[in-house]
Amino acid sequence: MIVAKDIKKSYGNGESRCQVLQGIDIKIENGDFTVILGASGSGKSTLLNIISGLEKPDSGSVFYDEVDITNLSENKLTDFRKKNIGFIFQQYYLLSNLNVEKNVKMGADLAGNKDYRSILEAVGLGGKLHKYPAELSGGEQQRVCVARALAKNPKFLFLDEPTGALDEQTGRQVLDYICQLQEKFGCTIVMVTHNSNIADMARTVIKMNSGKISEVFTNKLRKTAFEIGW
Amino acid sequence: MIIGIKDSIKLLGISVISCCAVLVCTMFMNYYIDIANIKHLIYSEQVMIFYNAQVSTAKVVCAVSGGCLLITSIIMLMFYIKHYIDSHKKELGILKALGYSELKIAGHFAIFGSSVFLGTAVGFGGAFIIMPLFYDTQNKDKLLPDIEIKFHPELFFYLVFLPTVVFALLAVLYACVKLRIPANSLLRDNFHTNAKIHKYKDNLKNDQSFLTDIKKCTLKSRKSLVFFITFASFCFSSMTQMSFSMKDLSSFMMGAMIMVIGLTLSVVTLLIAVTTVINGNKKSIAMMRVFGYSQKECFDSLLGGYRPAAYIGFAVGSIYQYALLKIMVEVVFKDMENVPEYKFDFPMMFLSLAAFIILYELIMLFYAKAINKFSIKEIMLE
Repeated sequence: MIVAKDIKKSYGNGESRCQVLQGIDIKIENGDFTVILGASGSGKSTLLNIISGLEKPDSGSVFYDEVDITNLSENKLTDFRKKNIGFIFQQYYLLSNLNVEKNVKMGADLAGNKDYRSILEAVGLGGKLHKYPAELSGGEQQRVCVARALAKNPKFLFLDEPTGALDEQTGRQVLDYICQLQEKFGCTIVMVTHNSNIADMARTVIKMNSGKISEVFTNKLRKTAFEIGW
Repeated sequence: MIIGIKDSIKLLGISVISCCAVLVCTMFMNYYIDIANIKHLIYSEQVMIFYNAQVSTAKVVCAVSGGCLLITSIIMLMFYIKHYIDSHKKELGILKALGYSELKIAGHFAIFGSSVFLGTAVGFGGAFIIMPLFYDTQNKDKLLPDIEIKFHPELFFYLVFLPTVVFALLAVLYACVKLRIPANSLLRDNFHTNAKIHKYKDNLKNDQSFLTDIKKCTLKSRKSLVFFITFASFCFSSMTQMSFSMKDLSSFMMGAMIMVIGLTLSVVTLLIAVTTVINGNKKSIAMMRVFGYSQKECFDSLLGGYRPAAYIGFAVGSIYQYALLKIMVEVVFKDMENVPEYKFDFPMMFLSLAAFIILYELIMLFYAKAINKFSIKEIMLE
């Protein structure tokens, strides 16, 4: 379980100082699919970065079961991410001079996963192992990111606007792959989005506004990627 | 315009190399011209042999150091322009899309000639500061009549003005060729779509680990850096060994000068090469760190592959300095009496190797620490 307690974060100094997070408290159960929903500038990506260990808060703690990751050194935090966490970003961040298979191996090697090709098959890229990122469409690149993240068998998967750069059809496909693969691998998913329709897919929805949590609710009836609006 | 003096300053490597080249060439060429003026005053056959040896030395030194450093400067200039265009694709793409011609954009690259001017001017001026000492050393036994130091304007033209103009033109021409890319291609995102696709399908085996793959890709996509790292170790090896090996053949001043030039060239080149690798792979490093690769793994995968090139450069440098001094002794000084026999100095080679290993590994350690300071978020927001 992830527990974040009184997370505060600000950027800038003096008059330009901006309080991005103003004391956030959240709990995310293991195996949950949580969506952090908010408009641009609401602090949702900063919160994701902090609970995933990419950034340190100004104050507050983030616990993964008993481990407070805000107190870990940079090396221990890297090791923690290696063993527990996967990421999918809006901008893909694929390594342009490595082909699809090698990009996925980046995640697979960390977990000693030799069966990464089955994930590539599952996301429909079995026939494009030797293609390079520049030779793929946006949707295909994002599916490589999904495969790369899942190939390291993460316990927690963090997604920052994963469909932000995709068209509707491709976006739905990518979300569908993520849901299918979550059911198969059973990881905890935390997704940041500004698209309130995507929140219908989640079990737990955390709404943010101006660095604060405005609402937390559970969807009793979850929709599939092809049922939600866009 | 996006290219300014600030960008030109980044070409410090070329300034340093051209400074060293012009310093050496100015001293020896000035000396060569000045002693030619006293040739008619030499009547003794023995002194004439000494005179001829001095002239030959000046020619060999100018040709070897000047030529070698000139080629390196040209390669470094081309490398930097290519690197600049690759890392400023979007800005250049916007200019092209707005209607600026390739020649008009490339014209601004002429500013890079200023770094050559800086280096050559400092080298030329520096040579005249050292020259009285150099003249005294060259003629310390007073075999030749007194040689007066004269300023030769033609040397300024050939060693300062001409290289500046040639390098400025070269920069414009090379940039013009490199900018022959459609504006659309330049504008596409540099990181994940428009990066040059390096197809190493045949070279990369599927059973290799990710770290081995990325190490090979980094090495192959930045072949020019292999040259610079080899060149850096070559300079270190040849010049440190030469400065000690030639103690019986030349003056202390010559040895010290060679040592300083060698160390400067190797350190500057090495720093430029490693900085380029690190900066060019910032996003890859950030992504690897996000996924949980350790600092050591990131560093080894990017820079570990260059280590063999560094040691090959060292070995070639050792052979080169031996061959050069052997030629000097057996060809240039062959008619002179009391020239000591020259043998390969193995203890000096091991000493130089130990110093090189310490220097190389210290620089690598410094950059390994720098990787740890990368802000993942800042890199991803770039």
